[in-house]
Amino acid sequence: MDAKNMSEITRRSFLRISAGAAALTGVHLPKTARAEAAGSLSTLIDLSLCDGCANRKIPACIQACRSINRNKIPPVVDNIPEPWPRKTIEDWSKKQDVTNRLTPYNYLYVHRAEVTVDGKRQTLFVPRRCMHCDNPACATICPFSANHKNQNGAVVINPNQCFGGAKCRDVCPWEIPQRQSGVGIYLHVLPDFMGNGVMFKCDLCNDRLKEGKKPGCVEACPRKAMLIGPRKDIEAEAEERARRMKGYIYGQKENGGTATLYVSPVSFELLNQTMTRKPGQPDMKPNVERRMVGTDPLGKAVLAAPVLGLAAGLLGWFSRRKTKIKAEEQGHV
Amino acid sequence: MSEKIFPEKNLVTRHNATELIEHWAIAISGLLLLITGIFELPVAKRYYIITVPGLGWSADFITSLYIHYAAALVFTAAGIFHLIYHGLQSEKGLLPQKGDMKASVTVIKSLFGFGQEPPMHKYLPEQRWAYVGMALIIAMLIVSGLIKTYKNIYAPDMSLAVVLTATWIHNICFVLFFLAFLAHMAAILLRPNWPMVRGIFTGKVRLNYARHRHALWITDLEKNEQSVDP
Repeated sequence: MDAKNMSEITRRSFLRISAGAAALTGVHLPKTARAEAAGSLSTLIDLSLCDGCANRKIPACIQACRSINRNKIPPVVDNIPEPWPRKTIEDWSKKQDVTNRLTPYNYLYVHRAEVTVDGKRQTLFVPRRCMHCDNPACATICPFSANHKNQNGAVVINPNQCFGGAKCRDVCPWEIPQRQSGVGIYLHVLPDFMGNGVMFKCDLCNDRLKEGKKPGCVEACPRKAMLIGPRKDIEAEAEERARRMKGYIYGQKENGGTATLYVSPVSFELLNQTMTRKPGQPDMKPNVERRMVGTDPLGKAVLAAPVLGLAAGLLGWFSRRKTKIKAEEQGHV
Repeated sequence: MSEKIFPEKNLVTRHNATELIEHWAIAISGLLLLITGIFELPVAKRYYIITVPGLGWSADFITSLYIHYAAALVFTAAGIFHLIYHGLQSEKGLLPQKGDMKASVTVIKSLFGFGQEPPMHKYLPEQRWAYVGMALIIAMLIVSGLIKTYKNIYAPDMSLAVVLTATWIHNICFVLFFLAFLAHMAAILLRPNWPMVRGIFTGKVRLNYARHRHALWITDLEKNEQSVDP
């Protein structure tokens, strides 16, 4: 084959491969996270209806939640290994009765908010638990994928895979997951040097959802202040209720969107002022940002990197071929 | 021709500029990926790494993720470039050849003073095996990393089986990459390999070293240069 023909074939094949690379770059990626797609569920918490079960010792939602999850944590070992070098142990096994905050044994609590609106004093009750975010950092960057966002919307920690490093709590804007030391797989690996228990939080009663049942808190609420349903329906219902009460919604935009929508006749700025952020007692800052959103453009560039490498490789190869052919032609002359 | 002998300077070109850029792009980004990969585990607070001056950010998983992504961009693009650029040119010098396993044992024994090295090509037989091992680890890291990145941005509710597979491939290959990196550094510590170190910085190695250790390569090069000369 002479150099001229070789050069033409090379150009043709180069164009063909380039067209392939261009087609690859044209592949459309979804515009939104799939968690927002049809089929996922949402819950609605109507603060105009919740009265904190004033007539009960423990609100019905908390009671139901605790009853369903009472055997979730296995017995804690007698001598919890002391982590090295930072000696943090979080042991709630002797404080299982605590219901006024989130603990590994209590996935829901009710905050009492005293507010003054237009000179009128009001009391609202705000049930607090995992928001089941649309794109939850707690799940996506769990180093062992022990925490996962299910297609039904529930964010679920697998206690058999979790090492209790509490990374999920660090990246959650509400610091929802709670650690119990002295249980879990870390005890069988390197308990002194790696892991520190298991993280626990509300899983939206995922096992009950699979059986076609409602989450315990939703089912138990005597005032029907909590609802669960298809995401679009719950969104429409939240909008409608907020419009009717001239109220506010929390959870639509917060942390990039969540599968929990609060509807309130009182603004969340005002409600947030009644909340002092403490361990196990999250605040309710409106428009709290999803921190990972800043990393998304770089992540998209990473997804495009193979195309970049392919295009650069083809260009480099083509240019080298051209130089070689030119040198060969000059050699013939 | 990128490989050239400079008898007057006692040098021979071992790597061209493209290869040097590829190597250092993968090496530096790979090192950053290793470090930020470690910081994606909850270790910085526990092991007081945050108290080390300049590493206060190490417990912030999102900051580590920014750096991890930036390094992954370079690492992935350089890896694919390497595959395409050298693959299309049918460069097979770094791929294992028949008899490499046996020759590797002979070379490794000679490094510790037992027996003589056989005459070698540009790359040593054990170097070719190490290359294939490292390439496989890098390929697995890239593929699993891309799946994890896609999940982070677009599909947090991706099939759990896929997520778990990608996560554990990524975690296991992370450990293998770290071990391979240590082995790579250990190889540099062996005295007979020292003359090759300047090659990865300058592209050239000493000709008398190459004649002695890479006799087959220099013979080929000299033959080629004679056939090109008028």
